[in-house]
Amino acid sequence: MAEATVSEDGNPKKTPISGIPENIKEAEAKSRSTIKGAEAQKEMMCAPRAQLEWGFGGRRKVRDGALLIALFIGGIGAGQFVVSTLIFKDFPFSAQSAVIGMILVAVGKSAAHLVYLGRPARFFRLFMRPRSSWISRGLIAMIILIVSGAAYLAPSVAPWFGITGIPWNTTDAISNVFLWTAIAAAFIVMVYDGFVMNSCKSISSWHTMLLPVMFLTYAIAGGVAMTSLTMIVATGTGNTLGDLVTIDGFLLGAMVALVILYLMNLYTSDLTGKESLHRLLMSRTAIFFIGLALIAGLAVPLALTLVHQTGTLGTIATALLAISAMLELAGDLSVRHSILKAGLHSPVI
Amino acid sequence: MVIDLKRCTGCFGCVVACKAEHHTPPKVFWAKVLRNESGKYPNSTRQPIPVICMHCKEPECEKVCPTGATVKREDGIVVVDHEKCVGCRYCVVACPYGARYFVDKWKDYFTGKDEPSSKYAEYSKKKWLEESDRGVVTKCTFCVERVEKGLLPACVLACPAEARTFGDLDDPDSEVSKLIKKKHGFRLKEELGTDPCVYYLPAR
Repeated sequence: MAEATVSEDGNPKKTPISGIPENIKEAEAKSRSTIKGAEAQKEMMCAPRAQLEWGFGGRRKVRDGALLIALFIGGIGAGQFVVSTLIFKDFPFSAQSAVIGMILVAVGKSAAHLVYLGRPARFFRLFMRPRSSWISRGLIAMIILIVSGAAYLAPSVAPWFGITGIPWNTTDAISNVFLWTAIAAAFIVMVYDGFVMNSCKSISSWHTMLLPVMFLTYAIAGGVAMTSLTMIVATGTGNTLGDLVTIDGFLLGAMVALVILYLMNLYTSDLTGKESLHRLLMSRTAIFFIGLALIAGLAVPLALTLVHQTGTLGTIATALLAISAMLELAGDLSVRHSILKAGLHSPVI
Repeated sequence: MVIDLKRCTGCFGCVVACKAEHHTPPKVFWAKVLRNESGKYPNSTRQPIPVICMHCKEPECEKVCPTGATVKREDGIVVVDHEKCVGCRYCVVACPYGARYFVDKWKDYFTGKDEPSSKYAEYSKKKWLEESDRGVVTKCTFCVERVEKGLLPACVLACPAEARTFGDLDDPDSEVSKLIKKKHGFRLKEELGTDPCVYYLPAR
């Protein structure tokens, strides 16, 4: 007898095709991409298109966020090295603070980059094109910072491990060469991510010279915050920080001005720029941008710094200073995250 | 290449032909057709805009690539050397046309898993891995392997409306050069200075 071609409910019976799962809907649901449905649809329209490669929540969800972490850690690490070796040079624990900055760059930033890369085993190829690529320039600067910074810090750090016989000390001319080479490289590490983003011509919210300036300011402020935290943890008091708090106040003021300028720049740019502004202020990204970057990362630390400067809070001031530093770091991370997430490609036509 | 927007019906034949030729995984479209909606009801229009890699003369992707994996060949075709690519995706972000795709790993269309669910999927995976790699950036190659044999790219051959014309832009007597001149060909995002090599003929 021939096999029935009609099922019990009267519909034509589906013939299973070899190898293809019977429950297609279930399989489709499983294969659904990490991109939100609306974003995927927009990719097929002549409309501003979100960049989904860099930052959390991209095509690979968490792993893509490693790049954000790398840029953040690299910025604050290089900032901490500069602040500890330039401004805080003669204070106790400055060498320890500089070493922490170096470790952040050498270990934290490098590891985060490796997690992000599609083919981490080929990482050495990233250094091949400094003539045209800002990624190559930034990573070469990172290596120079690690090598010269380690050479500069070696006479201070070696005795901690019982090692003697470093042929130079921190006051020698050669040591100064190491220091200034490391500081120059640290500035490139702090600023290059801004140039990386600035070079993307079709993303209006990134293609502005304000980004390198903003990222440099945020990195130095992050360095000040990290140095303050290190000092507070090491000495148990914020009383020795003095000038650092004043510098932090100025940096916070500069950051407020830069963020306002950046938002104004978006407001006066093309439609894609305005859409990015909308994302920063009105979408889910606004939670990070307004809540963390602006209020927690700028307004609160600025207020706490001012309160600390008045000196009316006595011993509580140290705790407030530590909180202020931590909020500043959270703000730094959030501002980078928000700017990455608000990056939209202009439509092709 | 010249794409005649007046002839394009938005049938997605080019997209399917590209998929069949290169076995690209899900969500990867070397050739795609964007929908451009303009005007307001009742005077609104919808125009399909086929987009592929523009094989720019001044490619942003090549400029920003830190490894030198993206290269412009002498014949003008921009290709990615998958042996050199590290998957940093700077080119994907820098490309103004959204023509580049990062492929972390091959995925089956039906199950979304790394393992092929059918014999065809197995063949497809094998062909894809012959042409590309995992953890690297991929893009339209103008079907370089076909062009080298004197064949037309798959999307050009498949277009039922004959909206696509492939040829040498440097030759003033070629069909593409004549079409651009006669029908006032234009390019996408010319203002960015990338000097794209794909021209469009206006829809009206």
